[in-house]
Amino acid sequence: MPDPQANAVEIRNMHKYYGAFHALKNIDLTVKSGERIVICGPSGSGKSTMIRCINRLEEHQSGTITVLGTELTDDVHNIDEIRREVGMVFQHFNLFPHMTVLENCTLAPMLVRKASQRDAEAEAMGFLEKVKIPDQALKYPGQLSGGQQQRVAIARALCMRPEIMLFDEPTSALDPEMIAEVLDVMVNLAQEGMTMLCVTHEMGFARSVADRVIFMDRGEIVEEGAPGPFFDNPQNERTKLFLSQILGH
Amino acid sequence: MTDIAAAPPSTVGTASHWLKKHAFSSLPASIATVLFFALLLYIAYLVFDWAVIGAVWSAENADQCPTAHGACWSVIDARYRLILFGLYPYDLHWRSTLACVAIILTVILSCIPLFWSLKRLALLWVVGFGAYYLLMEGGPIGLQEVTTDQWGGLSLTLFLFSSVVLIGMPMGLGLALARRSKLPVISYGVSILIDFIRSLPLLTTLFTAAVVVPILLPDWLHGDKIWRVIIAFALFFACYQAEVFRGGFQAIPRGQFEAGQALGLHFWQILGRIVLPQVFRHSLPGTINMVVVTFKETAIVIIIGFFEILASANAAFGTGEWAPYYIEVYVFVGLIYWIFIFSLSQYGEYLKRRMSVAKR
Repeated sequence: MPDPQANAVEIRNMHKYYGAFHALKNIDLTVKSGERIVICGPSGSGKSTMIRCINRLEEHQSGTITVLGTELTDDVHNIDEIRREVGMVFQHFNLFPHMTVLENCTLAPMLVRKASQRDAEAEAMGFLEKVKIPDQALKYPGQLSGGQQQRVAIARALCMRPEIMLFDEPTSALDPEMIAEVLDVMVNLAQEGMTMLCVTHEMGFARSVADRVIFMDRGEIVEEGAPGPFFDNPQNERTKLFLSQILGH
Repeated sequence: MTDIAAAPPSTVGTASHWLKKHAFSSLPASIATVLFFALLLYIAYLVFDWAVIGAVWSAENADQCPTAHGACWSVIDARYRLILFGLYPYDLHWRSTLACVAIILTVILSCIPLFWSLKRLALLWVVGFGAYYLLMEGGPIGLQEVTTDQWGGLSLTLFLFSSVVLIGMPMGLGLALARRSKLPVISYGVSILIDFIRSLPLLTTLFTAAVVVPILLPDWLHGDKIWRVIIAFALFFACYQAEVFRGGFQAIPRGQFEAGQALGLHFWQILGRIVLPQVFRHSLPGTINMVVVTFKETAIVIIIGFFEILASANAAFGTGEWAPYYIEVYVFVGLIYWIFIFSLSQYGEYLKRRMSVAKR
């Protein structure tokens, strides 16, 4: 069982390779329960790979990753336990196109948590209300806008009642006018105390919500700090360059 | 101006407007249209005259056939039992009829979404095919035994077709999955098997199963010839169907699998609930095509001594007195094929419509 006293995520000396390519180098990261982390960095810097290691969508080759006191190893039992506690939202939503919004939300609770259909549906409707689209419950994903789909994806992850939420560039594939509706949902989630790790370039979101901002480049954590100092007074040259590029215009 | 633009096009005008635009737009076009429709009407008249007006209908009037200018349907009236049941004992045709009904019912029920769960389909097929086999064979339930070499006609065609599809479809899915396996031994082995079988003509495969296998295998492994042929045919079907499914698998983005994993689902849950339903949708047109082709290809078993519907039809006009009326027999058999295949393809269209709702 997850240990309530433990840190949400603890990564120690973690390395990840794709063949000969050293994708993540000596990652050390501790996320306390309830903490909101924003991870940014240039494309190819390994930020998505890092959070995908936390729920074993990617395998790490050395070092340790401990989630809520459970170490992530080849042990299938541990992987299952961690995935039950960790929700994930993807850049391209990855909703199941052949199921209605409601079915998308109830599938995992019914199969994994063995919830009854009625309970799962009631709970799912609650989360769909929270992301402000209960009226779309019986539609198929293809009938919704991008912003609506991403909110369904958030509701779907929340239906598993996770302790930790991972966001992998949740707004990058959205049209500009839809970004706000998704960020609003994420801000509400943060205010309720959810532990969150967000890979995002929404610096406004980072500034207002994050407890800590992490900058990654070439597979390393280059700099991290509270959003105020991080944005106003970055220390590392690479961080400065990156921030000037994304904030400069 | 704005009033005219806003007015909806009048429905009264559209038909004549359409005709004018597409059929009578110019003098040559008008002439072509008139000529073409005249020809069409003439052909329709000829067919109707042959098939209905000038036709002889019953077997008692068969003596009028040589002088009649139309079709001699007497041959069907006299010989339809041979076409439908082949060499099956005449006084037991009721069993063959019931068996046909059992198989057709099984196929129809399998097509209804209500039955689309593993448990229900399995139960349905065990009952359906069990009923067919017991009725046709008879021995196990205390009826007069009829061995498989006496089975024939439409009931044999239906049995061959549905067994091949029924066994071949899961086999094809299994092969498609095995081909995607992470273990190279399995994926390469299966690729080689699929490519090997696909490079052989169906005839060779069936001939091997019917004639060569008994020479190679010990007696107790022979089994009934009909089962050997069905298994070989199913394997042939499966190898093609595996490639149809493979296309379906390739259309599923990796993110679908990852979303399932992130939600904590296991491999088989992801496969069964997320991946396969989408694979089936993507591979539906190809699958319908395979099924239709297979229905027609069952006629090939004539070569290895099975008396399916086309073979029985040949026998129906094989005797001297009916020899001149092979066209009527072929028209009758063609009609039977058409009814089944047209129903199959219409069902495919229905499935496509049903599924497109979810993809919009």
